[in-house]
Amino acid sequence: MASPERAREIVVGLKEAGIQLVASVPDINLLQVLNLLYEDRGIIHVPVGREEEGVGVCTGAYLGGKRPALLMQNAGFMASCNGLTTTALQFGIPVVLLVYYAGDMGDNAFHMLGLLTEPVLDGLGIKYSVMRDPSMVRKQIAEAVTAAEASKRPVALLLTRAVL
Amino acid sequence: MKRYECLQAIAPMIKDELFVTTAGGATNEWFAVRPSDGNLQVKTLGLCSSIGLGVAIALPRRKVFVFDGDGALWMNFGSLATIGLHQPKNLVHICWDNRQYESSGGEPTVSTAGRIDYAEAARAAGIQSLRHVNTVAELRDAVRYALDHDGPHFIWASIEPGRTQVPPLPYDELENKYRFIRYIEETEGVSILQIPISHSYQLGSEKRGR
Repeated sequence: MASPERAREIVVGLKEAGIQLVASVPDINLLQVLNLLYEDRGIIHVPVGREEEGVGVCTGAYLGGKRPALLMQNAGFMASCNGLTTTALQFGIPVVLLVYYAGDMGDNAFHMLGLLTEPVLDGLGIKYSVMRDPSMVRKQIAEAVTAAEASKRPVALLLTRAVL
Repeated sequence: MKRYECLQAIAPMIKDELFVTTAGGATNEWFAVRPSDGNLQVKTLGLCSSIGLGVAIALPRRKVFVFDGDGALWMNFGSLATIGLHQPKNLVHICWDNRQYESSGGEPTVSTAGRIDYAEAARAAGIQSLRHVNTVAELRDAVRYALDHDGPHFIWASIEPGRTQVPPLPYDELENKYRFIRYIEETEGVSILQIPISHSYQLGSEKRGR
């Protein structure tokens, strides 16, 4: 079960790393994080209908001076590949992709998503870390923001159930 | 009316507003009619309205124009609902409807059959300020209203197909990005592009400090 305490670690980590805007599409495993984002006045939360819209919103937000992240499931990451390629990568936009890792080892749903998520990230040339240790969450978020800013590219964090 | 004459009519009304323009003729013609670092070209078909929404949310006191097309808007139709949800007061969304995929060779879009009403679609999505314009005078009036009032605004502009011969874009998307950000930094008095101090430099200065 997702835990409010672990969700809080993620939101605190985003704030510490200077994330100012999060665009999102829900997943049941992201519920606790989303609940916090809906309440939090310190981060601009922009729910979108489709993940690729989120790539656009994050791009616009970055250009307008807000440090963005996009919270979604890996199905949505797959669905936003063109936006990531022809906008985020082609224009060089630093955006942190917070991706729930459906189909991860031990998960009986969406096994194909689990199989293909990392190869697709590799194929797109998007650097990523898998988050498995709750005690490392804040550090990994900070590192992802640094990597995105330094490379001016999207960087992904794969959120497993262990950290949610 | 032709898109080019519409753009020529709008340009004198514009000061430092930001423009996010869809892939295709609208971008080339706008860059020619109103050269400015406040223009951002979009490469992903359909994504201009989402990028414009992001800029509008990040800079709520700055007017942000989106130039969309009938084919591009069809590709990201849900964007109307997202704009209707978030109600950015500073967003002016113009759909140049030439009833074809002009950049792809003129194939029909959803608009070609003449049944879709983009203004009603925007209204149903929760966008209250709507216009459907068929003449340059109506367009000028709609843009004047959008400049002077809170939005979000949606202007459905029915235009004739056809491009006007203009020079190619003066720079690629990377240079466009940097110029657009620098333009926002200058006009808003903010710092966006922060170059972090490298670790090696930090270590070096610590050593020297000791």
